[in-house]
Amino acid sequence: MSTPALAVHDLSVRFKTGADSRHAVDGISFSIDAGEATALVGESGCGKTITALAILGLLPDSGVHVESSAIEINGRDISGLTGSRRREVLGRDIAMIFQNPGTALDPVFTLGRQISAVYARHCGGGKEHIRQKVIESLEAVGFSQPQDIAAAYPHQLSGGMRQLAMIAMATVCKPAVIIADEPTTSLDNSTRAVILQQLERLRTLHQTAILLVSHDLATVRQSCQKVMVMYCGRLLEKTDCESLFSHARHPYSAGLLSCIPQISDTRPAMINSIPGQVPAAGEFPPGCHFAPRCPRVESMCNQSVPALDTDKQQAVACFRPL
Amino acid sequence: MNRRYITRRVLYGIPLILGVTFVSFLLMVYFGPDKTYELLGKNPTTEQISEVRRALGYDRAFLLRYGDYLRELVTLDLGLSDSSGEPVSVILKRTLPVSIALVLPGFILGNLMGLALGLLAAWYRGKWLDKLVMSASVVGMSVSFLVIIIGLQILLCTPYGLNLFPVRGWQVHDLGSYLYYVTVPTLALVLVTLGYNTRFYRAVMVEEIERDHIRTAQAYGASPRELLFRHVLKNSLIPVLTRIMFSVPFVVISGSLLLESYFGIPGIGLVTFNAITSGDQPILKAVVGLTGVLFVLALTVNDMLYSLVDPRVAKP
Ligand SMILES: Nc1ncnc2c1ncn2[C@@H]1O[C@H](COP(=O)(O)OP(=O)(O)OP(=O)(O)O)[C@@H](O)[C@H]1O
Ligand code: SF4
Ligand SMILES: [Mg+2]
Repeated sequence: MSTPALAVHDLSVRFKTGADSRHAVDGISFSIDAGEATALVGESGCGKTITALAILGLLPDSGVHVESSAIEINGRDISGLTGSRRREVLGRDIAMIFQNPGTALDPVFTLGRQISAVYARHCGGGKEHIRQKVIESLEAVGFSQPQDIAAAYPHQLSGGMRQLAMIAMATVCKPAVIIADEPTTSLDNSTRAVILQQLERLRTLHQTAILLVSHDLATVRQSCQKVMVMYCGRLLEKTDCESLFSHARHPYSAGLLSCIPQISDTRPAMINSIPGQVPAAGEFPPGCHFAPRCPRVESMCNQSVPALDTDKQQAVACFRPL
Repeated sequence: MNRRYITRRVLYGIPLILGVTFVSFLLMVYFGPDKTYELLGKNPTTEQISEVRRALGYDRAFLLRYGDYLRELVTLDLGLSDSSGEPVSVILKRTLPVSIALVLPGFILGNLMGLALGLLAAWYRGKWLDKLVMSASVVGMSVSFLVIIIGLQILLCTPYGLNLFPVRGWQVHDLGSYLYYVTVPTLALVLVTLGYNTRFYRAVMVEEIERDHIRTAQAYGASPRELLFRHVLKNSLIPVLTRIMFSVPFVVISGSLLLESYFGIPGIGLVTFNAITSGDQPILKAVVGLTGVLFVLALTVNDMLYSLVDPRVAKP
């Protein structure tokens, strides 16, 4: 088997609040192969963004405690890197696309300037070469007038165009891994389709591994091969997309699937559809975190936390899977 | 920046200038001190009164008097000082450069140091360095300017301290003498304003550092230096420039008023101070009117700088 593009081993994130600390992410492991798109889904607040930021090492260094055995990009562990050695990796080997293209770009610099700063930092080269690369990357996400886009400030573009420019910035150095944190949540349906299509095209073109954080299961089904279901900072089910959509084994996954809305709006109202509420970090029940809301709960579920049975093809963390 | 934008800004300035000069006219001239009885002494007759009032122009219509005031300001033909008989414009010409030379170094230093400290505190927000800088600022803000000025004078200008600089005066003819007289007032101005500046700039910088695009830049490997000096500073230029531009008239007038009276320096501040105590109306109305105009100028220049700094403002 080849080395996965991204391999995360036993990642935990704890927030220190006063004397005690609480897990926002609790010992998750996964890997994504080159050219593969894996989705990370789960209700709001389950720890998806924190996971993404922890992989990049972008969480603040005070008040947060990040632990992992290793985070490997093409086999190279980046988890211990700090300072300039970490910065070398960011944008070159792994890039992130943020949720809100309206605020994620610097308003006082042109897009060309921002993208070329990334390219110059990591790949270098002469001025003309860098400019060429920026234009190419803008062209690659589908802009027919890349020069105009490069000369534009973010406020002169629509949300969808800004997100495309963000994708151009993410791909300009052709990183092995791209993490996209709800890249289309703030966009309308047709723009969303364009963004996902471009991401998919670039993924197959450059054999990029993509971690797509999403609320929207319809999107996930369309554009990902694998899917991981997250709840209270843990992975509950990890499998390929088709298996999940045809037969979800975890009761929580089944609950999520049952509430895919017919007309997909921006944020499916998952919280209302599965009875009960996500427990706040630090107030997790002692046993299975999903037990208070689970229709299949039994007494043993409250004794201990079920582990993800990673030996199975369709891994699930449940004592009584479907 | 295009010419149309500049023209528009300048045109916007005109009603503002009319507004501030109108207010200062109302306060200083129309409802201001009435010199009739001062000139007439005891028991004047009605004819004498109306004659003097006519001579002073008090009987003219309201708008005409406002027009006179405007003309005085525009032509800088501001009449004669009541106390010295010297033309007000000559007094201004002599004292204004002194005041500017006096406050400029302290103003620039105070802002630069405030910016640097604010940036430092913002970057290390929540850490001990931030706490140190911020507590020092609070101390600085709560110490009275009197204590600062007198303390500096004792420490630097008397035999009780280092005795290096003069306590009072302004005999400036070259760079050496300039530094000799300007150092202690500059230190005083910096110390008085630094706490306020630092707190203000820290708040601005913290807001900028916590914006989404800073995290994006970080996620693409930008170094702390790039983050601070490229993204944060450029984005914070608008609030920073606004503060600087708006404090120009304030510092020129009240800064010099404060410093000149304590250091006995013959600038516009001392002249104003004396005019207030002696009720020298021609000087006061000139100072008040010109201060208003200065504010509007600062505002207009500020708006123009905006469009240089922020691409979102008024592009054709
Ligand atoms: N600074 C912090 N201090 C304490 N807890 C925090 C902090 N930041 C985040 N958390 C907790 O971490 C959890 C995970 O947050 P995260 O942003 O990863 O959720 P998410 O899955 O991305 O949700 P969403 O779909 O709304 O983006 C949340 O429950 C939140 O309460
Ligand atoms: S372990 Fe028990 S409570 Fe948890 S999901 Fe499975 S059945 Fe439900
Ligand atoms: Mg999130």
